[in-house]
Amino acid sequence: MNLILFDSALVGYLLATVLALVHLVQRQEAIYRLAVLATLAGWVLHTLALVVRGVEVGRPPLGTLVEAMSVVGWAAVLLTLWAERQYRVKVLGAFVLPLVALSGVSGAWLPPGFRDLAPALRNAWISVHVILAMLGIAAFVLNFVGGVMYLLQEHQLKAKRPGALYYRLPSLETLDRMTYRALTLGFPFLTLGLLLGALWARTAWGSVFAFDPLALFSFLAWLVYAATLGGRAVAGWRGRRAAYFAVVGFGVLLLTLGAGLLLPGRHGS
Amino acid sequence: MPELFVSGLSHKTAPIAVREQLAVEEDKLREILVDVHGAGVLSEVVILSTCNRVEVYGVADVPGEARALAFRRLGQHRGVDLAQVEPLLYTKSGTEAVQHCFRVAASLDSMLLGEPQILGQVKDAFALAQDCQAVGPLLHHLWTQAFAVAKKVRTETELARHAVSVSYAAVELARKIFGTLEGKAVLLIGAGKMSELAAKHLVDQGAFPIYVTNRTWARAQEMARALAGTAVPFGARAETLGTVDIVITSTGAPEPIVRRADVERCLQGRRSRPLFFIDIGVPRDVEPGVNELEAVFCYDIDDLRQVVESNLRERLREAQKAEALVEREVAKFTARAQDLEVVPTIVSLRERLEAIRRGEVERAYGILPNADAQTRRAIEAMSQAIVNKILHAPTVKLRELSRGGHVRSWTEMVHELFGLGGRGEEK
Repeated sequence: MNLILFDSALVGYLLATVLALVHLVQRQEAIYRLAVLATLAGWVLHTLALVVRGVEVGRPPLGTLVEAMSVVGWAAVLLTLWAERQYRVKVLGAFVLPLVALSGVSGAWLPPGFRDLAPALRNAWISVHVILAMLGIAAFVLNFVGGVMYLLQEHQLKAKRPGALYYRLPSLETLDRMTYRALTLGFPFLTLGLLLGALWARTAWGSVFAFDPLALFSFLAWLVYAATLGGRAVAGWRGRRAAYFAVVGFGVLLLTLGAGLLLPGRHGS
Repeated sequence: MPELFVSGLSHKTAPIAVREQLAVEEDKLREILVDVHGAGVLSEVVILSTCNRVEVYGVADVPGEARALAFRRLGQHRGVDLAQVEPLLYTKSGTEAVQHCFRVAASLDSMLLGEPQILGQVKDAFALAQDCQAVGPLLHHLWTQAFAVAKKVRTETELARHAVSVSYAAVELARKIFGTLEGKAVLLIGAGKMSELAAKHLVDQGAFPIYVTNRTWARAQEMARALAGTAVPFGARAETLGTVDIVITSTGAPEPIVRRADVERCLQGRRSRPLFFIDIGVPRDVEPGVNELEAVFCYDIDDLRQVVESNLRERLREAQKAEALVEREVAKFTARAQDLEVVPTIVSLRERLEAIRRGEVERAYGILPNADAQTRRAIEAMSQAIVNKILHAPTVKLRELSRGGHVRSWTEMVHELFGLGGRGEEK
C-alpha cells in the first residue's frame, strides 16, 4: 500500500518538476498553477505514504537512510511552497523540485533494506535526533538553492548581458534574504539534532564520533553553517560570500549522505 | 445587414507626411465625427486619431462608401485629396476588424510594442464618440471588450513589463539588485537630462535621501532643490560614496571622476552592501574596473543600451503570447456576436408558438367550461411541454449553426417557414 503511495507521490513530483521547468521557460501563469497543484498533490500523497509506512512498520518512518531522505524531501517541498509565496519567487519550484524528484527516484532505486538503521538505534530518542536533523537539512536545501540562484543572478548582472534567467530570477536582495532565512531556520534544527545524536552516542558508546564517518561529516557541515551564521550576524557577510558558503555547506551535506551510503559506520550497515 | 469594419492608415502603411495631414485634435475630431455620423451612411462610428494612426471603426451597409465618406471628410481639414490617401488605406471587416481593434488596444500594433499610451488614446476616442452619440450596441460591445483584452494582455503577459528607455532600464536594474528602492540613498554627480530623469524615476520609487554634486556649486544647489535633495561639495564625492546605494554620473569630464581606488576604499565600511553605478557620461565617469569589485555593479551607457535591446527582444517574445491571447478573445467575441444574431429569431419563434398555444388553450377552456383546477393545470402543462419539445431542436441547431457562420440564410428560412415577418422586425 505505502509503496503505491510513495510511487504516486513521486509521479506527482516528477510531473510538477516538468511543469515548473516549462513555466521557467515559458512563464505562463496557467502552467505555474498546474505545477503548484501537482506539487501539492505529490506532497499530500507523500504525507499519506509516510503515515501509512509508520503504521505498517510500527515505528516512525525514519529507520533507514532512504526513509530519512524522504522526510527531507517532504519538508523541502513544504518549505518551497511557503517560500514561493513569502518571497514571491515563482521559479523556486523549478530549482527545488528536480532535487526532490531526483532523491525520490534514487531512493526508490536502492534495494529495500539497504543501509537500514542498526537495530540498536531504533528508539524514540534517535527518532527525534533524526527528525530534527532532517528538518534542518530540508531548510538547507532551500538555503543551497537560494545561494545558487543568487550566484546565477549576480553573474547575469555583472556580465551585463541579461539572459533568460535575468528576467526570471528575483532581485539579489530577495534571494539573499531568502537564503539567510533558510539558514536561520535550519541551523537550530540541525544543532539540536546533532546534539541529541552526540549525547546518545556518548552514553551508549562512550564516544561522540566513534569511527562514524556520517557523524564526522555532519559535524563538518554544522561547522560550515555555524561559520556562515557567525559571519552574517557579526561581520555582516551577505551576498556572494554567503551564497558560496551555502553551496559549500550543501556540498558537505552531500558528502555526509555519500558517507552514510558507502562507508561503514555505526549509523547502519 | 450592416457590417462592422475598420478602415485607416498607420505607421505601418503610411509615412508621417500623410499621417500628420490626417491626424486631428479633439475639437476638430468632434466636428468631423458629428458630420460623418450625421451623413447617415454609418449607423455607428468611432474615429481613432493619434500620431501613429488614423482609423475609422464603423458599422455600415456598404463599408466602401462609408470609408470614402469618412476619409474625404478627414482630409478636408487640411485639404488632402481622398485619391491621395486611398491607396494607403487598409480595410478589414467582421472578425478581422475585431482582431484589429483588440490588437491596437493591446498595443500589439504599436510602433513600440507594448507602449502604454495607446490604451488611453483608444479610451479617449471611444469616450468622444459616445459623447457625440455615434456609438451603438455593436461598437459599444466591441470597444469595452477591447479594453478588457488590453488589460488582460498587460496582466497576463510581460509585453509592457521591461523598460525600453535607458533611464527606466537603469531603474529596473536597480530593482533587480535592491529589490525595493524604498529608502535607498542616491548620489547624483553632474547634470544631464538623462541622469536627472533616472534620478526622478528613482525618487518616484521611494529612493531617499538624494545627494547632488556638481563642479559648479550653484548648479548643484539648484538641482538639489529640484529633486528635494542635499547638495554636496564636488570634492567630497568620494566620501559620500560610502553612504549611498546608487550613484548616477553624468559629467563632461575628459577622464573618470570616480576611481577604482575611491570605490575600493569606501567598500570597507559597507559590509558587502551592493553599490550600483549608473554611468551616463561620455567619456565614462567611472573607471571600468569598478564593476569587478565585490557587490559593485557598474553600467555605462552602452551597457544600458544593451539591456534595452534585450528588453525589446523579450517584448517580442511576449508579443507571441499576447497574440495567442488576442486570438482566443476574438474567437470568444465572434461566437457571442453570432449567438446574439440568432437570439432575436429564437425569441420571435418562441413568441409565435406561445401565442398559438395560448390561443388553443383558451379555446379548450371554452369547450370545457366546467374544468376543475387539476384539469386546467394538466392542459397548461401538456401544451407547454409540446411547445418546448418542438422548440428544442431548432433552438439548439440555430445556435450551433451560428458558430459555423452560416447563420443568415437559416434565420431567414425560419422566418419564412413560421411566418415570423421580415428580418427588419428584429432590429
